[in-house]
Amino acid sequence: MSDNPTDRDLDAGEYVLGVLSDVEARGIAARAAADPELAAAIAAWQARLAPLAAAVEAVSAPPDLWRRIAAGTVLTTVAENPDQRPRAAAPEARMRRQIGLWRAVSAGCLALAAMFAGIAYFGHQPTARGVAVLAAAGSPAPAFLAEAVSGAIDIRPLASAAVPTDRDLELWSLPAGATRPVSLGLLPAAGRRIALADLPAERTQLLVSLEPRGGSPTGLPTGPVLYAGTWTRIE
Amino acid sequence: MRTLSPSAACLLPHPRSRYSPPRPRNRGFARGFPFFVFEAVLTDPSQPDNSASVSAEHLLARCAERDPVALRQLYERQSSRLYGIALRITRQPALAADALQDAFVNVWQKAASFDPERGSAEGWLTGIVRFRALDLIRLGSREISGLELPEIEDDEPNALARLVGSAEAAALRRCLEGLDADKRRLVMLAFLDGLTHQELAQRLTMPLGTVKSAIRRGLAGLRGCLEPDGSDRGQRA
Repeated sequence: MSDNPTDRDLDAGEYVLGVLSDVEARGIAARAAADPELAAAIAAWQARLAPLAAAVEAVSAPPDLWRRIAAGTVLTTVAENPDQRPRAAAPEARMRRQIGLWRAVSAGCLALAAMFAGIAYFGHQPTARGVAVLAAAGSPAPAFLAEAVSGAIDIRPLASAAVPTDRDLELWSLPAGATRPVSLGLLPAAGRRIALADLPAERTQLLVSLEPRGGSPTGLPTGPVLYAGTWTRIE
Repeated sequence: MRTLSPSAACLLPHPRSRYSPPRPRNRGFARGFPFFVFEAVLTDPSQPDNSASVSAEHLLARCAERDPVALRQLYERQSSRLYGIALRITRQPALAADALQDAFVNVWQKAASFDPERGSAEGWLTGIVRFRALDLIRLGSREISGLELPEIEDDEPNALARLVGSAEAAALRRCLEGLDADKRRLVMLAFLDGLTHQELAQRLTMPLGTVKSAIRRGLAGLRGCLEPDGSDRGQRA
């Protein structure tokens, strides 16, 4: 951590190598954002060390992964063109009833979300463009807070969530009017940041279900929905 | 937050019914909303699949122009390699999948910022996936899962033997082989398995200070070997 060019270059090397702690790595990333030479040094180390990745054996990615990526990227682009907007597939009645129930639950949480939206808007995060508060039905306490950060949603626990060791939480997005939730990936109890090309539309529901370890094997929630909330855009 | 009273609707009894998932491998669903639109784009006969002759650099350029077919082709050609890298670092399939998902969303957003002057497209993709995987394990996900993690296998000689695919890989191998055994081992374990200074010290039962200085000297050695004149940082030797 020095202004000496050699030291700075080795800082960049350590950062790319991945040996730094979370705090140290964030420090370098923050410095690189304001220091083009450090950013260039990082890119150079990336190019130097990347060939080492050829030593890792390739492994086929899970079959559902492309759908998750498509949902987070290209589909949102395709949907911008109304001529290509997909027709809704024939709904499944049980799914509909379930979703209707959760709509009712999380519609009520909207008021709560609006309060958080106000806090986010007038508080210390002027860049937040949307927010959702996820709560468990039957519990008075909000469980997770989802907030827009640049190009992503940050979802953090507001209370500690106990997850059985043989289960995982999975996060789902259900746009208003849609009949099938789309997986946004697993949700560690400590929360995570999810990169999204486009933020959820107004009144999209965020659902958290309890799934077998590794996530739903079917591409739809298989376990109970533990938490739900409605996305509110801040414009 | 405790001062906020939750709205009454949040207090509804917990619904006991569950989602009814479709039958696994239900091809009807697989082609259903909203993905069929996308599949239609990808199977459009007006888009000939000549992907074998298209470079990753070219596919990234088309991603920057918002061509979904290019992203799909990039995924088909790079996902196994990149998933292997993410799995090696996270050691959990679910986390590796999350890392890859985030990375490809990132690639779609940032494709225009890829600069071929600074390195290959494969190297750029490798960097994005590695940073994402490292972020996820640094968030503590690797520890809190309660999983017994598979042991890291020590396959340094085999790993070096695989560095033959390109001139860059061969040069890196030569330079790694030029380092002391300790420094080489530390650099490779750090890069391939995503271990921090602290984890390396524990794993190799070496003092933390020794690990830190050996890695800095190892990195300096690699840079000096790859770019002997030291004047063209950013260009590979």
